[in-house]
Amino acid sequence: MYEKRVTIINKTGLHARPAVVFVKTAAQYKASILVSRADKPGTKVNAKSMVFVLSLSASQGTEICITAEGADEQAAVEALAALTETGFDEG
Amino acid sequence: MKLKGLPAYKGVVFGKASLYLPREAAPEPSCNSQTESTEEKVLRYETALRRADTEIEKIVCAAGKDDTEQKKIMCAHRMILEDVAMDEMIRNAITRGKSAANAICETYETFIALLQDAENQFTQERVSDMRDVRSRLLRCLSGEEEQSLSHLPEPVIIVTKELYPSDTVTIDRENVLAIVTETGGITSHTAILARSYGIPTVLSVPHITEYLSEGDELIVDAVTGCLYLDPTQEEITACRKQQAAYQKEKNVINTYAAAEGKTPDGIRIQIEMNISNADTVREEDAAHSDGVGLMRSEFLFMDREQLPDEETQLAHYRAALEKWRGKPVILRTVDIGGDKQLPCLPLKKEENPFLGKRALRLCFDRTDIFRTQLRAALRASVYGELWLMFPMVSSMDDWHRAKGFVQTVMEELAEEHIHFNPAIKLGIMIEVPSIAIMADQAAREVDFASVGTNDLCQYLMAADRMNPEVSAYYQTFNPAMFRILRYLAQCFTREKKPLGVCGEMGGDPRTALALVGMGIHMLSMNASAMPGVKRVINNITAEEARQITDAICEARTAEEAEAVLTVRLAALSEAELAERRSDEEVF
Repeated sequence: MYEKRVTIINKTGLHARPAVVFVKTAAQYKASILVSRADKPGTKVNAKSMVFVLSLSASQGTEICITAEGADEQAAVEALAALTETGFDEG
Repeated sequence: MKLKGLPAYKGVVFGKASLYLPREAAPEPSCNSQTESTEEKVLRYETALRRADTEIEKIVCAAGKDDTEQKKIMCAHRMILEDVAMDEMIRNAITRGKSAANAICETYETFIALLQDAENQFTQERVSDMRDVRSRLLRCLSGEEEQSLSHLPEPVIIVTKELYPSDTVTIDRENVLAIVTETGGITSHTAILARSYGIPTVLSVPHITEYLSEGDELIVDAVTGCLYLDPTQEEITACRKQQAAYQKEKNVINTYAAAEGKTPDGIRIQIEMNISNADTVREEDAAHSDGVGLMRSEFLFMDREQLPDEETQLAHYRAALEKWRGKPVILRTVDIGGDKQLPCLPLKKEENPFLGKRALRLCFDRTDIFRTQLRAALRASVYGELWLMFPMVSSMDDWHRAKGFVQTVMEELAEEHIHFNPAIKLGIMIEVPSIAIMADQAAREVDFASVGTNDLCQYLMAADRMNPEVSAYYQTFNPAMFRILRYLAQCFTREKKPLGVCGEMGGDPRTALALVGMGIHMLSMNASAMPGVKRVINNITAEEARQITDAICEARTAEEAEAVLTVRLAALSEAELAERRSDEEVF
């Protein structure tokens, strides 16, 4: 299992286009990936599900925790973390 | 069977019913749900999934390269449709013995509840997308084709619960003979569409979509508001007669299309148009009007993710001014509130949006939006005769504040050496009773005013105009309405300031007659209403109109007032038709 915490910096948060990019990226990996809000560790959801990711209501400034388990777990988490930390190219 | 509703645009139509129920979840076919094996159910679900995906793909392709709002929405729909977590849950439910339809319904319900709980408003808006996708998937499961009003194979009578703004944009005008709805009042989207396109329409016929089947023959008498299902020979004969009489009258009315609005005793009444987008107005309609009495600016804010910038707005206002070539164009600053959800402007949901932070109140709060619009309007003012009007003014403070904003923006433009008309006319929309009562003060200060009778009536009568439950309380013919309008006319006449009416009362020939009688000389309406109003004005003297107005202000009830006006109009039709008949006999 591989885990990492990152803070959402883009304006829109994990909604609209950024959410789409996040989910599509997650879908490229074989590992099962879960994402949760650091302030609500109980709400771990499937990172490959658009609807679940939206249900997190993670806005700008929210810290999220990305966990993956499987062959490519590290690559998956690092890719998603990098995407989040660069603000999904949104600024 | 005979049913009664609310006529929104007149006409008598014989035709076939076409049920339009796009937002309804299709019922589960009862047959094979028991006997079907799990494998068969999964297969049916997968087929439905593929069909739904193909439909969405088609819509996305049709949108072309443009990154339209519709395209973005459809892409979001595809993400929902293909969601791995939902897919898994549906398959699990089927394996546990649920029918495919129930599995889909349950799963979507679960996820919709999840999103509804989310704190974020963007997320909550996705709920309506989820519902759309669910309906599409269920329909695909039942094997039904997608319905759309944009391409109808033959002329039909559209029977529906209510049309949505999106339908009204794409509707196939050529093949819609008439519209019948279950809900909606005379100021609903459907009614506005019917009037602007001239489609005979009957609203508020309860359960009509359940009484009719696809292809059923029916008669829509949108003159009286009656529907005849499976009509008897007598009813058919009576309706044919009614249809001929209406057609005759319509022919007479249409002879006034190009006429000037002038009473037989020489009073000139300005006949103006209510518009949203100048590009969609026919050239001849513009030419036959005396200007634009109400240019709505809300549509600029719809269907887009970003607020419309100054240049976009300038281009729209300029297009209208150039189309009407020097005739006045009254631009109403944006009238948006919590009742409309706009992607570019997420607003807090309010308990009572029509009594909430809307229109001018919103502009005072979001000065960035107000400033951009005022800049665009002032810059457009050099291209024609632009008048600027503020909606939802409830006190003189609102007026002073709005005027102050204009002053500031003018100074800003002057500093930037940008041209504008410094003598631009500034006015108010009268729709809140408090400012109507203060009309004597207002008339002294404003350059002009226009009465929004739809909202004035709903605020005065305390009856929500969108709520069919209270439609009987929303009385435009109530003598209280005529009295308040007469008071407004007196105040503005005294100050020699123009006063217009841009609500539905301006476009109904009966109420238009009453308004002329009060001394209101500017009436604004949809294009299709102009000939009918011009005809009344050209045949009834201002003096007689004044007497009629006095009579209806003394009436006790809306019914009494309406009867006076209806009888006078009927007499006019009678006289005109008699005249035509004698002409026919001569030749």
